[in-house]
Amino acid sequence: MTPLTVTPGTGPGGAPLLTVTGEIDLANVQVLARALEALQDTAATVVLDLTAVEYLDSAGLSVLFRHAERLEIVAPPLLEPVLTYSGLADLAVVRAP
Amino acid sequence: MARSLPAGGPEPAGSDVFSADPEVGRDLAAVDWTATPLGPPSGWPQSLRTAVSILLSSRFSMWMAWGPDLTFFCNDAYRRDTLGRKYPWALGRPAREVWAEIWHEIGPRIDTVLSTGRATWDQGLQLFLQRSGYPEETYHTFSYSPLRDDGGAVVGMLCVVTEETERVIGERRMATLRDLGSDPSVVRTEQQMLDFAAHQLGRNPQDLPFTLTYLFDDRAGDADGVGVSAVGAGAATGSDGGPGEGARGGGARLAGASGIAPGHPAAPRFLPPGATAPWPATGPGDGPVVVDLALPSGQPEGAEPLPSGSWQEPPTGALLVPLLRQGGAPYGFLVAALNRYRPLDAGYRSFLELAAGHVAAGIASARSYRAQQRRAEELAELDRAKTVFFSNVSHEFRTPLTLIMGPLEELRGRLADADPLVREEVEVAHRNGLRMGRLVNTLLDFSQIEAGRLRASFAPVDLCAATADLAGVFRSAAERAGLTLEVDCPPLGEPVHLDRSLWEKVVLNLLGNALKFTFEGTVRVAVRRDGDHAVVTFADTGVGIPEAEIPRLFNRFHRIRTSRARSHEGSGIGLALVRELVSLHGGTITADSTEGRGTVFTVRLRFGTAHLPADSLVAAAPHAPVTADARPYVQEVLGPPAVPGTEGGAAGADGGVLPAPAAPPARGTPGARVLVADDNADMRGYLTRLLTGAGYRVRAVGDGVEALEAVRAEQPDLIVGDVMMPRMDGLAMLAALRADSRTAAVPVLLLSARAGQEASIEGLEAGADDYLVKPFAAAELLARVRANVELARMRGRHARWRAALVDALQEAFFVCDETGTVLEVNAAYTEILGYGPQDVPGPHGPWEETGREAHDRWKLAFREALSGRAGRCTLPVDRADGQRMWISVSCNEARDPDTGRRVVVGTFRDVTAEHYAVQRDSALAALALRLSQAAGPDDALAGALDELRQVWRADQVLAVTFGDRPEPCLAATGEGAADRWQRLPEEDRAELVRLRDRPALTPLADGGRAHVVLEHPEGPLVLRVDLGGRRPFTPEDQVLLSLLAGRLAQGLTRAHQADQHRRTALALQRAILGPARLPQGFAVRYEPAVPPLEVGGDWYDTVPLPDGRIGIVVGDCVGRGLDAAAVMGQLRSACRALLLQEAGPARTLAALDHFAAGVPGALCTTLFCGVLDPVTGRLVYAGAGHPPGILTGPDGRVTLLDQGRGLPLAVRPGAERPEAECVVPPRSTLLLYTDGLVERRRRPLNEGITLAGEALQAGRNLSADALAARVMERLAPEDGYDDDVALLLYRHPGPLELTFPAESSQLAVTRGTLRGWLRRCDLPPGLAQRVLVAAGEACANAVEHGHRDHPGGPVRLCVAAGADEIRLTVEDSGRWKPPRAEDSRHRGRGIALMHAMMQEVAVTPGEAGTTVRMLTRIEG
Repeated sequence: MTPLTVTPGTGPGGAPLLTVTGEIDLANVQVLARALEALQDTAATVVLDLTAVEYLDSAGLSVLFRHAERLEIVAPPLLEPVLTYSGLADLAVVRAP
Repeated sequence: MARSLPAGGPEPAGSDVFSADPEVGRDLAAVDWTATPLGPPSGWPQSLRTAVSILLSSRFSMWMAWGPDLTFFCNDAYRRDTLGRKYPWALGRPAREVWAEIWHEIGPRIDTVLSTGRATWDQGLQLFLQRSGYPEETYHTFSYSPLRDDGGAVVGMLCVVTEETERVIGERRMATLRDLGSDPSVVRTEQQMLDFAAHQLGRNPQDLPFTLTYLFDDRAGDADGVGVSAVGAGAATGSDGGPGEGARGGGARLAGASGIAPGHPAAPRFLPPGATAPWPATGPGDGPVVVDLALPSGQPEGAEPLPSGSWQEPPTGALLVPLLRQGGAPYGFLVAALNRYRPLDAGYRSFLELAAGHVAAGIASARSYRAQQRRAEELAELDRAKTVFFSNVSHEFRTPLTLIMGPLEELRGRLADADPLVREEVEVAHRNGLRMGRLVNTLLDFSQIEAGRLRASFAPVDLCAATADLAGVFRSAAERAGLTLEVDCPPLGEPVHLDRSLWEKVVLNLLGNALKFTFEGTVRVAVRRDGDHAVVTFADTGVGIPEAEIPRLFNRFHRIRTSRARSHEGSGIGLALVRELVSLHGGTITADSTEGRGTVFTVRLRFGTAHLPADSLVAAAPHAPVTADARPYVQEVLGPPAVPGTEGGAAGADGGVLPAPAAPPARGTPGARVLVADDNADMRGYLTRLLTGAGYRVRAVGDGVEALEAVRAEQPDLIVGDVMMPRMDGLAMLAALRADSRTAAVPVLLLSARAGQEASIEGLEAGADDYLVKPFAAAELLARVRANVELARMRGRHARWRAALVDALQEAFFVCDETGTVLEVNAAYTEILGYGPQDVPGPHGPWEETGREAHDRWKLAFREALSGRAGRCTLPVDRADGQRMWISVSCNEARDPDTGRRVVVGTFRDVTAEHYAVQRDSALAALALRLSQAAGPDDALAGALDELRQVWRADQVLAVTFGDRPEPCLAATGEGAADRWQRLPEEDRAELVRLRDRPALTPLADGGRAHVVLEHPEGPLVLRVDLGGRRPFTPEDQVLLSLLAGRLAQGLTRAHQADQHRRTALALQRAILGPARLPQGFAVRYEPAVPPLEVGGDWYDTVPLPDGRIGIVVGDCVGRGLDAAAVMGQLRSACRALLLQEAGPARTLAALDHFAAGVPGALCTTLFCGVLDPVTGRLVYAGAGHPPGILTGPDGRVTLLDQGRGLPLAVRPGAERPEAECVVPPRSTLLLYTDGLVERRRRPLNEGITLAGEALQAGRNLSADALAARVMERLAPEDGYDDDVALLLYRHPGPLELTFPAESSQLAVTRGTLRGWLRRCDLPPGLAQRVLVAAGEACANAVEHGHRDHPGGPVRLCVAAGADEIRLTVEDSGRWKPPRAEDSRHRGRGIALMHAMMQEVAVTPGEAGTTVRMLTRIEG
């Protein structure tokens, strides 16, 4: 399995925070999906910190699209082209760390 | 060598080699081969087996010898033609033993073949073979060719032999017969002829060791003894024989001898009657008899030995041949001693009989000539006697004539009412009696004038009255001829002294002439006075006389040629007599004539007597009536008057047959046809009666024109023609007859009233066969007619003899005219060509038809012949049955003795066998050359097929090998030929498959096609030669095909073995050349300068080191080819070992200096040696006199690796080696090479290096392998590299290739590897991540979709970097199913991402999986 850790926490505004470390691909996308689904009913906005993510593929993007409206994504420059070209940046809030 | 196995015993193993001929094969199989140096057949090499197969399957006569003892083999044809009783004893024996009796002849030839490997050729070699129980004179044309073993060494010989005994001996005999017939003179005495014949017979001492010609002594029958008593100078014979009693009973005398001296015990000059030894005096009877000379009867012991001719031993037999006489007893006999080395077969007998026949014909001819000569002498004597008689007693004619004419007149009167036929006979006699009387009178007058004996008596005469009376005699004749006779004779008042009887002759002659040549108008006689002369003129309006003739008009025997006359009869002395008579009177006569207008004769006579001899004057006589009988003159002019009561008087009817005279003086040849041509009706009738009475069939015509027509309608045996005839005279007729080939041979007997040498020469020169002068005796005429008819028939016999001789020639014989048209051929011509004389095709004979080359050769030979040289050529011709054959033609010019026409006489013989023997040898040589030049088995086969095609000028030659491969292997010549088995038509394939089980090397011909099977190393090979149906495949072709196929089988076996060796060598070469597997990013090329060797002195090497680095070596040993390769192999191994010890480039080179010093040929090897870290691109390197490496950066900058330079290897062993270091930047290309790549004659090295850098730059985005190919191609000189080239190319980093199972868990691992590789590519920021994402999406797709149903299937990822491009490929082995609804967005997103990340994306679904190819350019 592709190494991936999702650490729940609280963001700066008290919003739930998920800090992701590793690479997100077809093999482990369910980990991220379950973490986001667990927070589905508790908060309007979830901060997703992808600063330590080195890779994100279309499987991961699919999960993010599912929750896009309430996601505030912190993304490193490495992931920027993927988020931009996929159109996720137009739906979710994306900001640099 | 003893023959051991009993018949029916077990066949020794390997005897299938003899299967091509069951019969000879069985005998060969029965030989105890173990006792020979060859050993049992099962152990025989392929080459020997092949040779034996060829031998046995051939229908040409052949034998061969093999091995140290030259062990003897032969085939059935040889057994039959040559070996005779030595079979089967000879099989398996040493050839020296088999042919012991001729080994001195053939041994040296065989030694030559064995020692030089070159074939020999002997034509018509004389050999004495002991094959029929006696030493036999034989001739052979043969060729010894070398036989080689599997290794190519000459170990035996093959002899293809054609026995030519028949031809050589036949030619020799024919030459003798021809020479016998070449007697240049037609006329010889018998002894001359016999001497000539003996000389010619003596020129053939082979077939005629000696000859004797005995003639039966029949001189008793030869009245004058002229004929046979002549003694020849050469073969002197005595005439000591006793008196003859006639043929056979009178003994025989030796008339000719050759090869033996007359008087020798075996050649007595005379065989007395009753003698039996040495030869029977009565000869052999009517047919040839053989006499055994081995036990000479009647010869005492110790007698002189018999002459032996051209042989060592004397003859053991002789043939006595009678000299046959046509329709009579033999003339004698010929004793011909026999050639003891030849059987007395039909050919020998017929030769001797022909020779004897020629001698007999010569005797007949000589005796006949002698008889004729004698007759001619008799006739000449008779003629002389007659002349004497005639001149002495001519005056006596008058008496008998008178006695004839008197009773005749009486008879006419009495028979007025008799039978018309009787009366007609009397009339003829009467008329001719008158004419003869006049002729006798004229001749007598003339001869009396000549002799000066004519005594004239001149009396005064009234000239007018006398002349008018005489003219009156012609009045009625003139009227009958429709002419006016005017007589103007006024009295002169003075008499003229005349001899009245002589004057009558003058007037009658002149008036007769006038009437004869005048057809209309007037004849006028006038007398007038002119001073002291009386002038008498005779004028006519006739045809006139040509001016040129006038001066000779009064010459004796001169006859005027005029176009028209009432008759051509005449003596030619009339006017001469007239002039003589006028002269006697002291007068003159002149003629004045205009052609076509008329003639005037003027006679002037003096008055008085002063001009006359006084003693001739007599007193005047009373006027007397005309005494002269004018009737002969009148009849001569107008012909016989019609006899009342005989309608259509028989005498006048052309061709009319009158009753024959009662007693014909000589009988003619029964049934012979004679044509009589004479304008005189009486003569015509007389000749007709005479000849009919003698038994001839006679036809009579009136002139030459009619005669020609008659001859052309039906050819007579003889023409009897008068010289003088109207319309066309005898000479013109003769010329016309001779000019026409159909009538040229008809004999002609000319009759003429003109005697004298000159006239007869004229007639004979014109081609008359005989000449007879009138008057002639009936007996003489009949004798001449008979002689000529018989002579003509004999000439016919000569022609028949000639035809028989020509037909007996064994060589074909032909005669053609100057245009080449064939006129005559003999039997051999027809036999050889199948054409008869009538159906010879083409204007120049059959060779006209066989193509341009044959035509030209014949034309050249023909021209040679016409220009007087002997023309010779050898030509192909097609027999009537279409079979191609070769003939050797000789031709010469000759003249037809009859017509004088130029002809070409030629002979030819069939040289097909020789031609094919030569063709065979040259085809074998050409094939051997082709095979030796071939680079491999396929090339050998292709070359051989092409050679076969040329030999036969075949449409196509095809070979099918039935080997282990799934489908038979096809090779073929010709355009548009099928190149693969499957493309052959179905029926062809079936046929070829059927044929493959046939016995090897046994051709099968079918029309214009032939097949033969041969043993190919891979399996049976079926060879097809297709002549395209233009001509059949002959037995000679089959022999040749068999030989060539055998040679080809050997050649293919050798080529196959050589190929195996070559393959082995190549495998070894490749093993020492370089690593089979190269590390990633490397590409190499190797181009040896010496093909087909694939190694040379250059090399490259890559050595993976334990620490992950890679040793790189490119080196170049001095020299080329195998020697350099051997050095290279050692250096390469040493270098590799040193690098594996991590010595580093400098230390490696230093160690190699020492190593190379100990390897011969390694001095001055140049070398580039480096150690590369493929991860970092760090390269440590050192050079040993090697051209610098070339490094092209991603920006196109070219750097030369020219640091770390040192001397070539082993130049200074022990010297320090420098080392340099550089970094190969990402996406750059490193090129290492040997100087063959960049070095060009007369060009600086830098130019090549720059060119190489440019090529690298131009191909900077190609894969390493494609780039290596591009560089080799760009730098190749126009005519290829002339030195070894080794090239090593490295692109940093090498491409990443990995394969992982289609599981999502593998994605991260793959990504990690890819990320690491991308880092080595030194890409701009963000680009690596984009490539990573695109690759990740493609891999995820492969995992998720491609292998949804088969998890774990392989996925392959491949990424390569160019200078400014990254290429990426992902392949799976599954299929991307149509996306399901729920994941379609997700799928679409993945592909969209790929497009977003890369510049080019191509997804190719396929049966075997889906491939995604992506490319992005590196910018900035």
